[in-house]
Amino acid sequence: MRLTKGLHGYAVLRLGSGLEIRLHNLLTAIAMALLVVIGGVVLLTMGSTDSTFSDLVDLLRGSAMSEDLSFAIADVRMPRILMGFMAGWCVALTGAMLQSLAQNPLADPGLLGLSQGSLVAIMLVLVLFPGLPLIYTPLAGFVGGLAVAVLLMVLVGRHHSGGLGILLMGIAVETTLSSVTSVLILYAPPEQSHAIASWLAGSLFHSDWPAVGGFSVWFFFSIPAVLVVGRKLRSLDLGDHMALALGEPVHVTKPIILIIAVLLSAAATAAVGPLVFLGVMAPHLAGFISPAKGRARLLLSAMMGGVLVVAADGLTRLGPDQVALPTGLAIMMIGAPLFIISLRIRTMRQARS
Amino acid sequence: MRKLIIAFALICAGGLAHAQSGNDMRTLQDDRGRTVSIPENPKRIVVLQEPILGVPILELGRDIVGSYGRNDDGSSMLRVDFIQSVLGKDGKALGIGGIGPIGNLDLEKLRALKPDLIIGGESDEDKADLLSSVAPVYLQNIRTPDITGFITQQKLADLLGAQQQYQALWDGYQKQIEDVRAHLPGNPDGKTYMAVIIHDTINMVTNKSGAVQAIEDLGYHRLEIDGTGKASGYGQGFSVPLSSEQFARLNPDLLIVMNSYVSADRSEETIRKRLDVIVPGWNRFLRPEKEGRIVFVDSVKVSTPTIASARHTLDAISDWAASR
Repeated sequence: MRLTKGLHGYAVLRLGSGLEIRLHNLLTAIAMALLVVIGGVVLLTMGSTDSTFSDLVDLLRGSAMSEDLSFAIADVRMPRILMGFMAGWCVALTGAMLQSLAQNPLADPGLLGLSQGSLVAIMLVLVLFPGLPLIYTPLAGFVGGLAVAVLLMVLVGRHHSGGLGILLMGIAVETTLSSVTSVLILYAPPEQSHAIASWLAGSLFHSDWPAVGGFSVWFFFSIPAVLVVGRKLRSLDLGDHMALALGEPVHVTKPIILIIAVLLSAAATAAVGPLVFLGVMAPHLAGFISPAKGRARLLLSAMMGGVLVVAADGLTRLGPDQVALPTGLAIMMIGAPLFIISLRIRTMRQARS
Repeated sequence: MRKLIIAFALICAGGLAHAQSGNDMRTLQDDRGRTVSIPENPKRIVVLQEPILGVPILELGRDIVGSYGRNDDGSSMLRVDFIQSVLGKDGKALGIGGIGPIGNLDLEKLRALKPDLIIGGESDEDKADLLSSVAPVYLQNIRTPDITGFITQQKLADLLGAQQQYQALWDGYQKQIEDVRAHLPGNPDGKTYMAVIIHDTINMVTNKSGAVQAIEDLGYHRLEIDGTGKASGYGQGFSVPLSSEQFARLNPDLLIVMNSYVSADRSEETIRKRLDVIVPGWNRFLRPEKEGRIVFVDSVKVSTPTIASARHTLDAISDWAASR
């Protein structure tokens, strides 16, 4: 392992296996990982049950502690933080993949209608088959999301999938599906429409250990996906023709990446509801802090998504007792100002150069 | 023989320990078809719907230790306090704790209340498994079409073994029904009524409240209006929307009008001002108004599925009858 300077002028860490990592990407990833760990530890001590850092240490050591405290830290806060990080990771990763796939910086599972497709399918399953085990909801979400993806490809056509066309068509499909969602909420039995409305706002409330265990399968699936897909996206970022010239079978690669994106998006939607705009914000913020390509871009985007959701979870706990702040809204409250600031700074930099 | 004696001693010890716990468990099926084991005599009940589940339980003479919509000190998070208005009791004095803001239940606060039974409605079904990690969760239908009038309170009485208290309340209520009927201007049998609640729009109150139960027990039956059934898309909740035109054409023998329960001022004067905005000139052409057949009631007092709410309604009707 040695530190050298690449042709692009950035410091690069070269590993023995031939793998190269830009130093600023590596440092950013380490900083975000530290942020998540520190934020997670702080959040573990935040809640209506009084707890301190030493209580966490006691819990990790297995020392005797009150059942209430153990319940608060181990059964309520810990799974919530883990679920928040993993869901944010998956949604942001999906956004980053779709942006490269559509070659459009605004592509996001929400804006393209994939999340709405998953939502409608999940709601239909909940309304029409209320007794169906919850394990089937991600499957329904996947079918719905994939149906929207196929519909978009058919409507826009393969040759226009990289431009504004797919985005506009995605917004049209998303708007149409939103009205279907509204009708479903209106006509669903009250007991279901209440639960659906709460889930639509984005919520980590249902994050217990079984839910975390179920979702972790998708999270761990996303890690090799980052390694495999990242390399492909590096070629696709150059455009279809260049990717083909580089030997990338675009007609095979693109559908596979789309299926992976839909899978991750559907799983996250089923677990915590739609986390609107996170798929756009997180890759942009990550790219602003540390510009990257390929695997590094996916990894940093995913970590930024996790950081934003964990921070949003903290914000929901800081509010007054009377205020119920949905996680989806808290993400927007934290992410949107950062997103605007980053865009403004980027615009000013471009104007100067 | 020695093994037999040991086994007998163990059984006795087990039985004694169980008796000392003072609370046997029983297994039953709730309204959502879930099998749940709950204490025979629950002492620390938390309700997830205060007006619909908490108030009926308190009227039955049972305590609740926590409720959705309460602050930690027992005061109401909402502008209105159903427990105070319907039962005249103070949530603070009763020691009812909060379990987080509405829409964001706090599991840590819930556990700190050490409940031995959590009672929720059908809309809490999605939370039931999670809440079961704190205490047994019993879900009772409160908004399904088969639930009308006091049925919710009667079912709670059966669940909590408070049938005698319910019967005593029922007997007092029946006596008041007879008294009020005797003082009404004319026999109400076969006559029509309509109850409306004014939010941003005018809404017809369905048969899920103590108010409507009382009116129907007096002998009135609801005026039929087209387009207010389930097929209208408005469902069958506590109230369903009614257009201004439909309201202007209403002519029941008895019209009950109440202001929204989220409104701080629910007086007759405020209700009249609200109607002036929604249906301008209503007092000049609405026949029940011109003929003095409107009863103004406080929605908070009369809208719970309790005998207390029904009796508040009877009090208002009695005052109206006396003033004619």
